[in-house]
Amino acid sequence: MAVQFAEKVYSLAKEIAEDCQGLEAPFCVAECPMHTDALGYIRHIREGKLEEAVRSIREKLFLPGTLGRICAHPCEKACRRETEFKQPLAIAALKRYAADKADREELWDVSVGADTGKRVAVVGSGPAGAQAAIDLRKAGHKVTIYDRLPVRGGMLRVGIPAYRLPHKVLDFEYSYLDRLGISFQLGVEVGKSVTLDTLRAQYDAVILAHGAHLGIVPPVNGGGSGGVTNAVEFLREIAFTEKCAVMGTNVLVIGGGDVAMDCARSALRAGAEKARIVCLENECALPASRHEQEAAIAEGVQFDYGWCVEEIVRENGRPVSVRLKDCLSLWDETGKFNPVLGSETSMATCDTIIYAIGQRVDDISRGQLPQKAGGRYVVDPDTLATDLGGVFVAGDAAGSTIAVEAMALGRKAALSADRYLRGQSLTEGRNFKLERSYKTEYDVPVPEGTEDLARHHSELVDAAVRRTNFLECDRGFDENAANKEASRCLECECKECMQECLMLNEFTACPGELFSIFLAKEQVDAIVPYSCNLCNQCTLVCPKEFKLADAFMSMRKDFVRANKGKSPLKGHGAIDIHQKLSFSRVFTIKRKGRE
Amino acid sequence: MAIRHGFMPGCSLPSYSPENIEKTIAYLRGVYPELSVVQKCCGKPTKSLGQVDLLQERFGSLIADIKDCKVDEMLVACQNCYNMLRESDAFTTISLWERMPQIGLPQEVRGKATNSDVVFSIHDSCPVRDNHAIHDGIRWIMQELGYKTAEPERTRDKARCCGFGGMIVPVNPELAKKVMGRRVQEMPTQHVVVYCAACRSSMLMGGAKAWHILDLIWGPVVSQSSQPPENVLASPVKAWVNRYKSKGVIARSIK
Repeated sequence: MAVQFAEKVYSLAKEIAEDCQGLEAPFCVAECPMHTDALGYIRHIREGKLEEAVRSIREKLFLPGTLGRICAHPCEKACRRETEFKQPLAIAALKRYAADKADREELWDVSVGADTGKRVAVVGSGPAGAQAAIDLRKAGHKVTIYDRLPVRGGMLRVGIPAYRLPHKVLDFEYSYLDRLGISFQLGVEVGKSVTLDTLRAQYDAVILAHGAHLGIVPPVNGGGSGGVTNAVEFLREIAFTEKCAVMGTNVLVIGGGDVAMDCARSALRAGAEKARIVCLENECALPASRHEQEAAIAEGVQFDYGWCVEEIVRENGRPVSVRLKDCLSLWDETGKFNPVLGSETSMATCDTIIYAIGQRVDDISRGQLPQKAGGRYVVDPDTLATDLGGVFVAGDAAGSTIAVEAMALGRKAALSADRYLRGQSLTEGRNFKLERSYKTEYDVPVPEGTEDLARHHSELVDAAVRRTNFLECDRGFDENAANKEASRCLECECKECMQECLMLNEFTACPGELFSIFLAKEQVDAIVPYSCNLCNQCTLVCPKEFKLADAFMSMRKDFVRANKGKSPLKGHGAIDIHQKLSFSRVFTIKRKGRE
Repeated sequence: MAIRHGFMPGCSLPSYSPENIEKTIAYLRGVYPELSVVQKCCGKPTKSLGQVDLLQERFGSLIADIKDCKVDEMLVACQNCYNMLRESDAFTTISLWERMPQIGLPQEVRGKATNSDVVFSIHDSCPVRDNHAIHDGIRWIMQELGYKTAEPERTRDKARCCGFGGMIVPVNPELAKKVMGRRVQEMPTQHVVVYCAACRSSMLMGGAKAWHILDLIWGPVVSQSSQPPENVLASPVKAWVNRYKSKGVIARSIK
């Protein structure tokens, strides 16, 4: 029976469909650029369903063990236990736990779409390139990844030291690309041995995801010759040989980020007697993650906070010390990076200097693609398309700064390239908000009586031992710690009415979904509104105080109007008889009391 | 001019217990000798189905009956009637449970259950969640009778539906049964007191031992060994026979 619903039904339905928080992502999921279902897999972990947890992670991430170790986890900064108590869930560590315990090839979804006959070249095998390759391969295109290095993984492989990310973890997870049938051209440098133009001629689309592999070394007095290197080159050499040919025994690292920590800690492992970090920032403003800084200190790395290297002093061509000047402030009034130096000076001895102050994107297009700050290519921020037809950019070359963000850009570029290859609009029907990190609309208050429970930490190998080798130093969670940590999750999703109303659970995941479907179809099965107790219990618990009963009641009126004054449901015949009798002369009486 | 009072027992109560109707009328006439009584439905089931036109007609006939009796203030024993009648401004409507504390219980029932070993869980009627005077009245009555009481977690302004609401029983009986069972589950004791005969039926269906508050006022003292009155409303024949009997009780009570 087709029912014409009144405007009131539609206006109530619209309000609920638009503002119901039932489908709003939790803070962690919205913040993750890939929108990994952290709430979901943490719940699986808590329930001991580790394979389910891995499946859930793998729906979004092909390298759970890798990201479980090295992801900068913006999700944890957004976690409600962070914003409320400054003790976020150890989301990354839980991901690693699930991957270490339960990931195996049999769980991998290696299905690919029907062959489209299109061929795509991806430049760079780091997280952005790999993700783009996976998505394009799954869409049915033939994909070849080019990388100038003989190994796969980009910065994951040659930028992150093995003691943080063992090569075997990365290699295992990258074998997923082989299973999908993605080809590799390793040791081929696009822009040199092969040009972009050649790739464009040979392939139907090209994704540039070659990262930022040019280490920055500023011009400093005395910086001219040996004994000075940069983090990119240093860490790459370490990744291949666990050594650094130009390194002496007294290493000075310049920079305050995680890469500086990696350099100093790697230097110790590669045989340096002393490693010292000099950075502009003061101790509390260090950009590096707290745990990296603490691990470095425990391993004996020394810190000089708030200093700027003004000159490298050399003897016999070799650096022997640096002259430092104190840094008074880093940012000017307009918020621009503009360090102001004071008059105090200091000397620090060293024989090797590693600059860890950032890296640039190389231009492999030979000037065809304009670049901006840091060498990042100029692209359409929504689609990552360039002015060259069929050429898209992803990863750090398009502006990402962390692996999971690079992957999101890889996915975005792949989505655009796929549309390009199919001759579709690059923008139509796309929800760009969901393709990047966003703020959720979820705002249900923290339940009363929520306790501030301490975050669990995994154990590290003893500092004196771990600083001597490149073996993984974080042991990861054991079962007990993982379960306890998983049980701290506040499960930030609005299920208030769903926990209250048995009827809603029979028909939907949340009122927002129910009424969205109603709006789309402009119809609803009569049993839905006629199963509501009209008790308003949902309204009592709803943060928005939606009156679902009113909406269902209005629907009922329209059903009756469309059905000649009667309910469309047979069972209600009993009510009709009941009501007739209840108003009949046989069963009614009025007795007026005396005047 | 003196205010004229009326009493409206509703549908489910007269279908459940003509005895309670008889005794309640006698009690009210002791306070309001000019009491009128109207037995008719308020039309809430018609309204719940969405039958707008039919409701207008039926509700209109009820209001006409009440006006015929020249009632200024209507006492109601059903919480749906309470909400329905308050839509009319031809008279004022007040709940029997709100009025009882004001006029007091008969001397012979006060403290009658002081020695009872039963602790009654109170199930409030969800249509009157916002009416604290009714909640207070029920607790006052229980205290006057001498019964000990306990509250479920969701009570008074947070009371959960018994499962009977919205006319879902005939079209989604499985769901109704689940709702009833869940409401009973959250009762802290096995014995439940209600002030709606339909709620009582739901509580019985959900597995509780349930009494209407009028059973406790006018009936025997309940002890752990007592069995609740049978679920009359589950049998349409018995329910309609009772409804007819209640009509007779009213006719005899007010001549």
